[in-house]
Amino acid sequence: MAFHNRDKKDFNAGILYIIMGAFFALWARNYPMGSAVRMGPAYFPTVLGWLLAALGLIIFVRSFFEHGGEEPRKTNWRPLTLLLAAVVIFGLLLETGGMVLASFALMYISSLGGHDFKWKEQLVNAVFMTAVNVGLFYYALALPFKLFPWS
Amino acid sequence: MDLFHNLIYGFSVALHWQNLWYCFVGCFLGTMIGVLPGIGPVATIAMLLPITFNLPPTPALIMLAGIYYGASYGGSTTAILVNLPGESSSVVTCIDGYQMGRQGRAGPALAIAAIGSFFAGCVGTVLIALFGPPLAELAFEFGAAEYFSMMVLGLISAVVLASGSLIKAIGMILIGLLLGIVGTDVNSGIARYSFGISELSDGIGFVSVAMGMFGFGEIISNLEQAAIDRTVNVSVVKSLMPTGNDIKMSIGPILRGTAIGVVFGILPGAHTVIASFSSYTLEKKLAKDPKRFGKGAIEGVAGPESANNAAAQTAFIPLLTLGIPTGAVMALMVGAMTIQGIAPGPQVMTQKPDLFWGMIASMWIGNLMLVILNLPLVGMWVKFLKIPYRLMFPGICLFIAVGAYSINNSSFDVYLAALFGFFGYYTSKWGCEPAPLILGFVLGPLMEENLRRAMLISRGDPSVFFTRPISLGMLLVAFALLLMVVAPQIRKKRAEVITESGD
Repeated sequence: MAFHNRDKKDFNAGILYIIMGAFFALWARNYPMGSAVRMGPAYFPTVLGWLLAALGLIIFVRSFFEHGGEEPRKTNWRPLTLLLAAVVIFGLLLETGGMVLASFALMYISSLGGHDFKWKEQLVNAVFMTAVNVGLFYYALALPFKLFPWS
Repeated sequence: MDLFHNLIYGFSVALHWQNLWYCFVGCFLGTMIGVLPGIGPVATIAMLLPITFNLPPTPALIMLAGIYYGASYGGSTTAILVNLPGESSSVVTCIDGYQMGRQGRAGPALAIAAIGSFFAGCVGTVLIALFGPPLAELAFEFGAAEYFSMMVLGLISAVVLASGSLIKAIGMILIGLLLGIVGTDVNSGIARYSFGISELSDGIGFVSVAMGMFGFGEIISNLEQAAIDRTVNVSVVKSLMPTGNDIKMSIGPILRGTAIGVVFGILPGAHTVIASFSSYTLEKKLAKDPKRFGKGAIEGVAGPESANNAAAQTAFIPLLTLGIPTGAVMALMVGAMTIQGIAPGPQVMTQKPDLFWGMIASMWIGNLMLVILNLPLVGMWVKFLKIPYRLMFPGICLFIAVGAYSINNSSFDVYLAALFGFFGYYTSKWGCEPAPLILGFVLGPLMEENLRRAMLISRGDPSVFFTRPISLGMLLVAFALLLMVVAPQIRKKRAEVITESGD
């Protein structure tokens, strides 16, 4: 049993479960518990939360005894941050700048996270998909949203 | 005969131009997505779910169902032509299907795959029509305790048959259940875990969770790895006609595969994958010359393809009759039905017979459409396959984001989807499966409600779950399944199956 030999996947998963389980169970103290007959809003989440935390503890402890587990694949920050940033920017732009701008931004920014990035081809891709997007969702399916900043 | 009348009624519904059109759209999109490695039916259904909100329930569900089995048809196309499984259950088809392609026999392989799948689809449809009503009748006997136990059984069996660590999967179920609780509690009116954010008092949008974890999460994971050049090994398709010998050798596998698929489809878990694997193993054992397997044995294509399509069809039975989802795809269907205002359960058959029988009839029509679509359009799918991932994935992200937004016309849902993308990315890195979470998420509020009701009726006596026979039976099966997984011999066998599938 050694810290360095721990199974990292289990170690991380265990900690996640403990934190989430404890959070849900502890926060539930804000709500009435009720009794077994008439369960209050806190009952179910408290039970589940502690159960989750207990499982997390088991996994966490177990991780010290399991060696030779696969390392979790190293985080590649580029696709992760670019993709998620693109989506968040999309959400921010949508209500102010409109769908056209937001789509374009998402397409271009997220494409930066891919392999073999070539700016000209992604520019065309972004324009094309924005058009498809607007055509499909706004015109064909009549979903309501703002197209341009001045709409 | 009642069955006959019901099917006629179903066809009259399914043949309306609107339902036909959406069936076609679903099958087409499903095949397209099935052909692309890296996006599975779950992600596709999650992505296209918002499109169905504006549609009435029957065409919406028909389209979603079409996507589901379209994806399994499409997956086999890629498996045979490019040796890459378009989706998990096509992994087995790669083995012999691709070899047949290398021998210039991609056409017959595709044809037999399509014919086998069509046959399995027909059988599946008939079975749903036959067993649907009696099963639903049985479900009417269910009280709150039975429903609760059944959901427990459903959740447990789903993780037992899934790959990966059992205990982590149970943890994911719990997280899903907890996340499903976020929102206003029906009984007390108190908003739980909303932290003062008004959007959260309605609960977390299930589409955000599904799309975030299955869509964004998967794309980011794909991008992490080296780019795969898919164009290298595309087999040329000459003629599609199978030889007489091909057909003769495929009859047995198709029949057996269908039987296997039908059974596995009803059971909760990764039905299609296990069905196709079991079929392959069986055919190999039964063959007179097992060494042919792995080198282009047509039985290795006919059996698994029939099995996976049969499983895809019968997977709808527990959903349409009992209202219980048995996997991630079915969980999404439950979500779709709920959003449409339909409570899934046995009453769907009596209260909305047009939906029930219309769906069943359109499944058959969908299978027919897929046979017609896939064979002539093979060339088009091949071209589509050649589009590099780096051009595809931004568009997919865009669709997911727009889909998330369109639920409530709120950017908040978009942010949530991004958050779940982040969450899903890390949890899958650590070996925690997303599918159990979605199942738990969909079932969470239902389970709590049934638990409460059962306890209320029994006046606080928890033994009610064990004294009522149906409930006890289900809990025993769940417990037995758990034991089975923990037992060492089964543990090893399970690990074998999983490593072979390369999941």
